[in-house]
Amino acid sequence: MSELEVAGSDIYLKPSVVFEQGRFYMVCASSGHGKTSLLNFIYGVSDSFDGNVYLTEDEERRAENATHPALTGTPLREGMANAGTENGLRTKVLSFVFQDLALFPELTAMENVQLKNRLTNFKSDAEIEAMLDSLLPPEKKNQLVATLSLGQRQRVAAVRALCQPFKFILMDEPFSHIDSENARRLATMVLDEVKRQGAGLIVTALDKIDYFPFDEILNL
Amino acid sequence: MLRKLQRKTLIPAQIAGYALTLLVGVAIVLLSLQVYCDIKPLLTHQTDVFKAHTVTVSKNVTVFKTANKEGLYFSEKELDKLKSQEFVNNVAQFRSASFATKAAISFEGQRMSTDLFFESVPDGYLDVESDDWKWDSTADFLPIVIPEDYLNLYNFGFAESQSLPVVSAPVLSQITFSIFVEGNGKSKVFKSRIVGLSGKINSILVPDDFLQWANSEFGTSEEHSSSRLLVEFTDASDERIPQYFEANGLNINKTELETSKMAFFFKLAMLFVTIIAAIIIVLSVAFIIMSMNLIVQRNREMFVNLYNIGYSHKVISRFYKVIVSIITAVDILLSSALVLLVRRWYMGRLSVLFDTGGGIIPTLAGAAILLALLLIICNIFTDRVIRNIIK
Repeated sequence: MSELEVAGSDIYLKPSVVFEQGRFYMVCASSGHGKTSLLNFIYGVSDSFDGNVYLTEDEERRAENATHPALTGTPLREGMANAGTENGLRTKVLSFVFQDLALFPELTAMENVQLKNRLTNFKSDAEIEAMLDSLLPPEKKNQLVATLSLGQRQRVAAVRALCQPFKFILMDEPFSHIDSENARRLATMVLDEVKRQGAGLIVTALDKIDYFPFDEILNL
Repeated sequence: MLRKLQRKTLIPAQIAGYALTLLVGVAIVLLSLQVYCDIKPLLTHQTDVFKAHTVTVSKNVTVFKTANKEGLYFSEKELDKLKSQEFVNNVAQFRSASFATKAAISFEGQRMSTDLFFESVPDGYLDVESDDWKWDSTADFLPIVIPEDYLNLYNFGFAESQSLPVVSAPVLSQITFSIFVEGNGKSKVFKSRIVGLSGKINSILVPDDFLQWANSEFGTSEEHSSSRLLVEFTDASDERIPQYFEANGLNINKTELETSKMAFFFKLAMLFVTIIAAIIIVLSVAFIIMSMNLIVQRNREMFVNLYNIGYSHKVISRFYKVIVSIITAVDILLSSALVLLVRRWYMGRLSVLFDTGGGIIPTLAGAAILLALLLIICNIFTDRVIRNIIK
């Protein structure tokens, strides 16, 4: 993107942007402006950018380095090189509702969620069923994901993202194919989990949404 | 759940192809190894007291030589010429006894005796147990090696026609008899035993140092130069050997050359078969690695998604590694069993003809080494293929 295009951005070309755990962020931009890329940078899936993403967990050290709070941690890219294990960042620290969902069409909705939960052992099967049932028609949870509608799949992906401990949950246009009533129900479920874990929330959207009580709205 | 997902990615035909080619390759490699180890002692004549690649050479007996025996002996010049040949490693001469000898044995109250002759060759050419093949001037024991043919002649000819018991080689070596030596107005009696049988040389052999001593003690005339030589070849399958001996009117024991040639071709054939089988194994491994690659490429999205939701490449590749390892292990076990089955069949036939003693260690060791090697290779490559796709 050219500099002109990103001139009004709250993130691009800034010396640093800090997302704090426990706060809720909305990243707003029209399509093609890199919302997904930003989340991918944070999640460590993509490294086609200049700069660094730092993840700091230590509150005390962060206070000591108040001038550059983000620079105290391990660069996320390095962290990611060692992650991807069962104990890695992706099962303990960051959770991600992918825009392309990353579901497995040859598994049922229930199995898709269980596949993640096997890694984390975070929810019981009963809890997962209850979560799916509250968002989907009851018979859907045992149907192959390939047979579900896009909106239903989005809800399955979101439920899956809640089946792990996290400090941040990243949601990439999570409500794009969900009607407002279901979206609100999903948002409530996510919010409950985020608050229970004391985690941060980063949601991207094309237009402003009001399903979450955002602390900060960033324009990309 | 992960297994359910990954099971669907497998391509049964390719896995069956790997299992089959690996089975064939490993079975052939192990079989040729086992056969080689079982047959080798027979070809290298470890059962014979003579060293390998050694033959007896004499001059052809002709009408003229019947009248003049001197023509049968090798002159110094002829010896030197033979020694200078490229394919000749060493030449040793036979020493003959120049005194009269008799052997006597008591059997069921009957006393039998026969005239004998002795020859000797340098000890280095014999491979008899050193404890037996030793002459001590203070003791009266004289070890003897006789041609295998003598025993056969007795067992299948003499004993048969005279209704006498047949004798095996171990039993024969237990029989003691007396040797009378006479000459120069002196005589002496020795106790004697046959300590070995030679299939290559038609003579009755005693230790060289004994004959040296006995010739000086009882000998009546001066020692002749030899009429027979022991020639040790560098490679008995050399084409020039028969040509040389033909051209010089020398008589050579051809069976030894034939055996050597056979051994050479046998080794060559075994090597060839083993190389082909090794190529089959390499191809089968290359095949399964390519198959893994195909699986990963086909299901690239699934692998990347698994990685993205937190599965490590180790966990993702575990399923495939286990599958390949199980197939490899089962294949190697099966082919080992197959080889041992085939071995039982051919050993049943071989043991009728030869005294074979080898074990199944070659198969077991070969199988273990192959198993370790293939498991390491397959696991490393599977791991790498999957790691490459998700990073």
